[in-house]
Amino acid sequence: MARKTIFIDFSKCIECRACEVACEREHNGRSFINVFEWQEMAAMALNCRHCEKAPCVEVCPTNALYRDEDGAVLLAPQKCIGCLMCGIVCPFGIPELDVLDKIMMKCDLCSHRRAEGKLPACVETCPTDALLFGDFNDIQRMRRREFTEKAIEIAKKGERISLRAL
Amino acid sequence: MEEKLVPVVCPYCGVGCRLYIKSLDGYPRGIEYAKDIPGISNENGKLCPKGNAVLEYLLAKDRLKKPLKATEQGKFVEISWSEAIKEVAERLRAYSKDDPNAMMFFGSARTFNEPNYLIQKLARMLGTNNVDHCARLCHSSTVSGLKAVFGAGAMTNTYKDIEEANVIFIIGHNYAETHPVGFRYVLKAKERGAKVIVADPRFTRTAWFADIFLQHYPGTDIALLNGMMHVIIKENLYDEDFVMRRCVGFDELARTVEKFTPEYVEKITGVPAELIVQAARTFATAGKGVITWAMGLTQHTHGHDNVRLAATLSAICGYQGKEGCGVSPMRGQNNVQGACDLGVLPNVFPGYQAVTDPEKRKFFEEFWGVELSGEVGLTVIEAAHAIEKGKVKAYYIMGENPVISDANTNHVLKALQKLEFMVVQDIVPTPTMEFADIVLPAAAMLENEGSLTNTERRVQWSFQALNPPGEARPDWWIVSEIGKAAGFSGDGARGFRYTSPEDILREINACTPQYGGITPERLKSNLAGIHWPCPSEDHPGTRVLYKERFLTPDGKAHLAAVDYRGPAEVPDEEYPFLLTTVRYVGHYHTLTMTGRSKALVKRWPEPLAEIHPEDAERLGIKTGDWIKIETKRGAYPVRAKVTRTVKKGVIAVPWHWGANVLTNDALDPVSKIPETKACACRIAKISEEEARELMKAVPKVIPEFEVVKG
Repeated sequence: MARKTIFIDFSKCIECRACEVACEREHNGRSFINVFEWQEMAAMALNCRHCEKAPCVEVCPTNALYRDEDGAVLLAPQKCIGCLMCGIVCPFGIPELDVLDKIMMKCDLCSHRRAEGKLPACVETCPTDALLFGDFNDIQRMRRREFTEKAIEIAKKGERISLRAL
Repeated sequence: MEEKLVPVVCPYCGVGCRLYIKSLDGYPRGIEYAKDIPGISNENGKLCPKGNAVLEYLLAKDRLKKPLKATEQGKFVEISWSEAIKEVAERLRAYSKDDPNAMMFFGSARTFNEPNYLIQKLARMLGTNNVDHCARLCHSSTVSGLKAVFGAGAMTNTYKDIEEANVIFIIGHNYAETHPVGFRYVLKAKERGAKVIVADPRFTRTAWFADIFLQHYPGTDIALLNGMMHVIIKENLYDEDFVMRRCVGFDELARTVEKFTPEYVEKITGVPAELIVQAARTFATAGKGVITWAMGLTQHTHGHDNVRLAATLSAICGYQGKEGCGVSPMRGQNNVQGACDLGVLPNVFPGYQAVTDPEKRKFFEEFWGVELSGEVGLTVIEAAHAIEKGKVKAYYIMGENPVISDANTNHVLKALQKLEFMVVQDIVPTPTMEFADIVLPAAAMLENEGSLTNTERRVQWSFQALNPPGEARPDWWIVSEIGKAAGFSGDGARGFRYTSPEDILREINACTPQYGGITPERLKSNLAGIHWPCPSEDHPGTRVLYKERFLTPDGKAHLAAVDYRGPAEVPDEEYPFLLTTVRYVGHYHTLTMTGRSKALVKRWPEPLAEIHPEDAERLGIKTGDWIKIETKRGAYPVRAKVTRTVKKGVIAVPWHWGANVLTNDALDPVSKIPETKACACRIAKISEEEARELMKAVPKVIPEFEVVKG
């Protein structure tokens, strides 16, 4: 089964933080994607990677964390006991504690939007397409194709230049 | 009750993005991306952070809900609509009998075309051409500069052309932050292999994506542009054929730029000579090029000349009148183009028809059925000076906030205090309201409907998605009621008896040649809108201007030859730093809207003044320290951010929170734009207590007023 996830193209991020605001709107005032600036030279957005071998899912003592049919790692709130283990083992520091409800919370790849056939809000809004949603291998194939197309284009230009030089 | 998806236009910037509001019985339930509408300016329904937070300010607790009357300065009592309209109309009528030029009207780039048309009609029917709006503070030099060179003051192309260009020259324009959705097209072009040249005093987020980055000192644009043209002419890279066929003034240009050798320009601008040569070659040889600019180029005492030079650069390279080329001044508000088009300017009637032209005046005299003044009116900043001289006594402000937006705030405050009568029509309390005699609560853009013109000259219809709060009313309704009460109750175009914005747009169709075929029916059935000029109903609209000829009287581009002039105020011993103003992606202008949006305030909570590490070290300033920025006009406390994005000797401060107390109100002689982008300043480290003390003198961006319920 194809697993869909959010691909982040750091080279296109303009740090406008539209993804954060969109996420916050869709998730009752909490954003599960963050944009970090790197030395005033570039920015990078980071959300839950919905890992293939997700440590959070493996460590969850109550099986509150599970995978849905798109491959997103979701949290069943009624099962969560707020033990924080998922947060501790996550290498990216993604799961956060909701102190009011005493459960964990994390990116759900907008399951309510996916149920209606729409993309996650952060992907839908990203003005520069720095965020893409889809099967990881498909995205990689697309990037390879784009790279080769560009290389061919450059080669063609080079040919013209050398012809003119003759 | 059924949830509806209502197509609207985002109320923020000039990109004019489409989105849907999920509306349940007139209450907002959320937004949805307009992915399914082809041909819109934000393809695939993309939105920036402001667009995503578009509902939050509408639900602000302090929305104005009833007309108010001042009992003393800053204290109000609620009154009824009929009382408010009667009082405003009577007072305006009295001034009109006495001396119509004692009145000043402010239209607004923040509202639809229809109320803007009405406010200038009201002003002109009352006998004055004193009508202006905030374009004066942003793109008046674009309007005048492009009119001088090409014959019309608008973007000559569309976003599609930016996407198709081979080189994009971005000058004085932090594209990625000011128009994030528009920047998408720059990145798409770049991916295709286009080169991006960025000229900015700061290493902005736009500059991250530059192939060539030119960091010049604020206010040295003339030298930079002349330097590039020097290289292009000297190396014979210009389009000779285009210059011969379609331009005049080339010889004088060549003579003027003669002395602007890259080395000479390096001395003035601080940009290495080889980079100037590289930029000039890259730009001229690309085949298809676009120049975009915004406030960095326009807000100078030589803004008019800056724009003429940018246009000249584009023209000598032959980048006019074809796809993938052109000049793209990026408008800041979603309807600033429309407000200009519809004559909310002191010198022109709708459609840029000069008030001084007796023939045009005669047309409007017959059309509106009154005698009209042929005297050019006052501009925004001139009006503030005229108050001091006692010439202007009354202000009617529709959706503007001059206390924060005008240069030299302290002067504006003094002037507003002297006014006899002031009406403020707005959606929320603003610092300007402090001086109002009557406050009229308006419906916000998503709470009523009308047409809007984005930066690409694209006219779109925005539908009503929500109910206005309390007794707030649409702007067109308010102005037409005042018009009727002031005695203009004739039929059709001769009065103000409108029943809907469609009526008004039909009247606009009849008197504005560019809008001739842009009828409400066409706009409602075509959500992607129509690019003006569109003279007749069967005309498809115009994507690229000047394909055959320019709109100047002789049909040619009038190239500008301008010698170097720097900023009006340069650093000296007393004020050793050069101050420039900037903005944040998440905030919008005077914060009336974004300042009431939680998601945005959380992310961009306060202004941070950018200062170069070497300057900071010398003054003992660290990131997060409070500093006082002082100019000849005022002082402003702000926290510092030590960063290499600015050049040594330059301080950059976001202006949203009222930094205009510092800026210079020296005007460009032609466009009358104040120089808010460069002035001399000094800085000092201060304590938090001192900062708090200084803060008291700066007008509060979100004020609270005492209101007695009626």
